[in-house]
Amino acid sequence: MFWIKHLIPGWRSSNVCESRTQSKGCLVFRADILVPGMEPYGRVGALLLVTRVCPMRSTASAIAAVLLSLASTILPSPCVAGAAPAEALVTSQLAEKVSFVDLETLQVTGEVSVPGKPAGIALAPDRARAYVTAPEAKELVVIDVDARKVVRRLHVGNGPLGIAVHPLDGRIFVADWYDHRIAVIDAGTLAITSYVKVGESPSGVAVTPDGRFVLSADRDSHQVSVIDAATLVVVKTVPVGKRPFGLTIDASGRRAYTANVKSDDVSIIDLAAGTILATVPVGKRPYAVALAGGRAFVTDQYSQTVSVIDLATNAVIRTLKVGAYPEGIAADRTGRFVYVACWEDNTLERIDVDSLEVTARVTVPDGPRAFGDFLR
Amino acid sequence: MLRTLALGLLMLPLVMMNVANAHGPTRQKVTETVEINAAPDKVWAVIADFHDFSWHPAVEKTEGDGGNKEGAKRTVFIKGGGQLLEELLSYDAAGRNFKYAIIETDMKVLPVNNYSSAIMVEDAGDGKSKVTWRGAFYRGYMNNDPPADQDDAAAVKAAKGVYRGGLDALKKKVEGAG
Repeated sequence: MFWIKHLIPGWRSSNVCESRTQSKGCLVFRADILVPGMEPYGRVGALLLVTRVCPMRSTASAIAAVLLSLASTILPSPCVAGAAPAEALVTSQLAEKVSFVDLETLQVTGEVSVPGKPAGIALAPDRARAYVTAPEAKELVVIDVDARKVVRRLHVGNGPLGIAVHPLDGRIFVADWYDHRIAVIDAGTLAITSYVKVGESPSGVAVTPDGRFVLSADRDSHQVSVIDAATLVVVKTVPVGKRPFGLTIDASGRRAYTANVKSDDVSIIDLAAGTILATVPVGKRPYAVALAGGRAFVTDQYSQTVSVIDLATNAVIRTLKVGAYPEGIAADRTGRFVYVACWEDNTLERIDVDSLEVTARVTVPDGPRAFGDFLR
Repeated sequence: MLRTLALGLLMLPLVMMNVANAHGPTRQKVTETVEINAAPDKVWAVIADFHDFSWHPAVEKTEGDGGNKEGAKRTVFIKGGGQLLEELLSYDAAGRNFKYAIIETDMKVLPVNNYSSAIMVEDAGDGKSKVTWRGAFYRGYMNNDPPADQDDAAAVKAAKGVYRGGLDALKKKVEGAG
């Protein structure tokens, strides 16, 4: 990250995606700035700032231009096209490691030791840090992703498990299985600033793309709590299927999906109305949901399958055989592939979103869970 | 007010039930294998019936119904006391494997929770078979700080004992039968 921070005081790094490229002897600095409140619209809701610096010319010239979003849709954004290496960060609970998998080559390129049976994971908005829950150590573990090092560990209650990060201000939300609350942690100081009391045994947590609401799947209350991210007040609870675990919100922020472990189905929630749009039966012991290409991909732990739901009809259109005990699942940033961690077989498997086939797999350390936002 | 009260009363049994079902500990896995000097079909024939668990030395008898279909249930009576209620999760005769889960356990026999298991027979070549039995489960005590007889180690030890004892007996039975 460079100059933009100094130009616009108050802007958080999470609002900005910067790049530096060389062109005809000039350095081109570019920043895509997400406008608060417009994030769901992606690049359409972004301002583009471009600066050219040409040191080779007799007089150094700099041109700064603030363009409207139209320009950023013409120029491909580095924010979208691989500014950081595409990789998976897989929490391996039994091996007590986080491993790094290059998504191009599907090779394990490194690993970090994380004692305390790591399970949940989320990435900072700039994808430079990973936050991992270690339930047995009762800790939140902060990893510098590029350096591949643990940089902090802090105690966060009795049963930290699910975790999510606010897309704009970077706050970290940790669900506490035993204390039945969400710990709110400041990304800068890494201090716990408050707790939000929710239902029994919250597991999956997610934040709407506009940053307005935090959702928790309260497993043993069979409900989703909707928390106002600014006031940290639970503004509504939505009853879902039995024992919701994984929780995923779509890119528009309109719908949320829970995988209900006990009722073997997925609840599709209309977030504005706070109602259930559909309940879709899937395989046995569904764990988590990923969204890509107008479909939901659901890991069925006991069935050893991924159920594919067509979101136009809310019906399962395909059931894919994967490794044993599939758990964490997520779509990559291109939306072309979904990756699934198979806990019992120790694999990370790639599903082609178009062909709906498992096209590659790699062995990872023992007991991969990858519960959360694990794709960089 | 009335609605809140009614809702509260409705929720009460759920809340009470939840105490027993909540789990936060780490799921454990155990895999045991054995190589048997017999063709895979011959080995599979011994274990293929979900309702015939007589090949396991710790099992007194089983009772149940549903055949070898998904959802079939069996109660396994353990020699010396204790019983387990199990459900067939999947059955693949061609692949020579099935999966099942324990619905109700006996903590004295098998101190586990959310237990699922799979047993499979593979062709090991040269007329031999490899049998793999594996399980995934949580320990018996589902809160922090478990007593020693219901901790992770106790659960793993118990499951290993079941698999090892069963596989070694299976080998003896199949090979002994010529």
